[in-house]
Amino acid sequence: MLQNMIKTDENKAKFVAEFEARRKIVVMKHRAAQISIVLILGLILGVSFYTSGFFITNYGTDPMSRIGDLLNKMIPDLEPQNLLKGRSQSGSIASWFYDMPTWLSLLSQTVQIALVATIFGSVLGFFASLLASKNLSPLPWLHWSSRRVLEIIRTLPDLIVALILVAAFGVGPLPGVIAIALGTTASLGKLFSEANETIDWRPVEAVKAVGGGWWTQIRFGVIPQVLPNYASYALMRLEINVGAAAALGVVGAGGIGIELSRAITYTEFDTYLALLILIVGLIFIIDIASEAVRHHLIGLKLAR
Amino acid sequence: MTTINPYLNLSRQDLIAKAIAIAPKLVSIPISRRLLNYGVWVLAALAFALLCKNVDMTPAVFAKGFKNLLRFFGGMFPPEAAGQEIRILSALAATFAMAVSGTFLAIFGAIPLGLLGAKTLVKQPLAHFLIRRFYDVFRAIPALVWALILIVAYGLGPFAGVVALAFADIPRLAKLYAEAIENCDPKPQDGILAAGGERVAILRFGLVPEVLPVMASQSLYVLESNFRHAAILGIVGAGGIGFELEERIRIFAFDQVAWIVIAYVICVMLLDTISEKIRSHLIHG
Repeated sequence: MLQNMIKTDENKAKFVAEFEARRKIVVMKHRAAQISIVLILGLILGVSFYTSGFFITNYGTDPMSRIGDLLNKMIPDLEPQNLLKGRSQSGSIASWFYDMPTWLSLLSQTVQIALVATIFGSVLGFFASLLASKNLSPLPWLHWSSRRVLEIIRTLPDLIVALILVAAFGVGPLPGVIAIALGTTASLGKLFSEANETIDWRPVEAVKAVGGGWWTQIRFGVIPQVLPNYASYALMRLEINVGAAAALGVVGAGGIGIELSRAITYTEFDTYLALLILIVGLIFIIDIASEAVRHHLIGLKLAR
Repeated sequence: MTTINPYLNLSRQDLIAKAIAIAPKLVSIPISRRLLNYGVWVLAALAFALLCKNVDMTPAVFAKGFKNLLRFFGGMFPPEAAGQEIRILSALAATFAMAVSGTFLAIFGAIPLGLLGAKTLVKQPLAHFLIRRFYDVFRAIPALVWALILIVAYGLGPFAGVVALAFADIPRLAKLYAEAIENCDPKPQDGILAAGGERVAILRFGLVPEVLPVMASQSLYVLESNFRHAAILGIVGAGGIGFELEERIRIFAFDQVAWIVIAYVICVMLLDTISEKIRSHLIHG
């Protein structure tokens, strides 16, 4: 019957007109949505740039030349003929990196802060993950509330926590360790709990069947399954933490950061560049080492 | 009952002897092996204790600081803004504005660099390797370190913060974009090439529709992390909430610190939820 109606020409024209009208409406709606998204984005950006004082800040001459000046100051005055001479000779590499022993010890302190914080964070994160994973949590409300707590801790930037802790513990590496450990606990707690939620349930049931308690079930049913995942997450976190520990010294929480802010205060911009090179080198070394270990772990997991 | 457990009427001693006969290595671990195991654990514990001591993590220091910390926590309740709500909220707004502006600048800078870093567009392996390592070098520099030096160039204020966020994010985003471009399906591009499309047309109709949602979602992810980074930058003088917080921590006004932290956490969680909604919408359509 419908086909009979279409066969007649005037009906055909009517259907086509109707179709065109509908299509027009759909296309218009689509356009309107696109335009409104662009407008909203533009509005947000405009308000943001205005509020952050991006265009009205008085920074003297044009920004590019200021950056150029600064880069010029950061590049040390090396002289090719004196390059390998002693520290007292100006223009040598040794005079550029003039306080190397202190910096190396501060770098090692940075690594130690990151290591201790990662170890504590992993252990605490493990216990937090037991509470926060849906399948292992002893009580349902505990699962929900511990997740929220971890979320709140994750929103706090580590430097602000470190600032409060420096006021409490005094200047030194300990506030840095606690601040980073706290952040690590929160983020690893989440990642570990996600790993916990994907486990195979049968080994746990086997341990339960032979009479194992809650902890025995966790120890022999859960941990062997998730340990490689845990280790690779913890190593990934270690890489992040070395970078965080390098910056923490700026607020007095130990590590190489204190030299960074000192170099800025004394306007030693070439020293700042030297420190930057050291920090980047350190993070590179840590990244490469941790990546090698992680690949090894993944290999172990695949081989099983 | 036809099957009778043959071990049922054996004594404990006999059972152990039988078990050793069947699987000697499982039942009794040789003493040397056991000592080695313990030795490794003891060494690890010693190394860890040494590490803890090096970073001042001793009970005495800990106890002293903890007492202060408890006092601070006591001072946090009840949280109070002391009539400075408007000032704090506008500082919060400035912080989030810094994050948005910095991310936007970073997206602008990262798009060409992302194209440059993609294996599918720069095919020369050595060039690809060098470009990626170059990004890695700059990725290692945190926003705070940029901010310290940029404040010298531009003076105190949010401008330096915005530029610092952008500088820190450009290599991060460039890497993410490059990976997104590498991971996309080459077939639509081949199709456009086969239909006689120019290079621009290949990018516009073969690449962009596929990578745009991924890139947008990664940019939002970076924006979320910038809400946190922007709060930090105020500590070194880039304005915003970090500056307000530092000021109040220095004068031990912890009731106001608590108010600011609570306001900040609520705002960040709200913004994160919105951004997460948009991201899942982008990815799943």
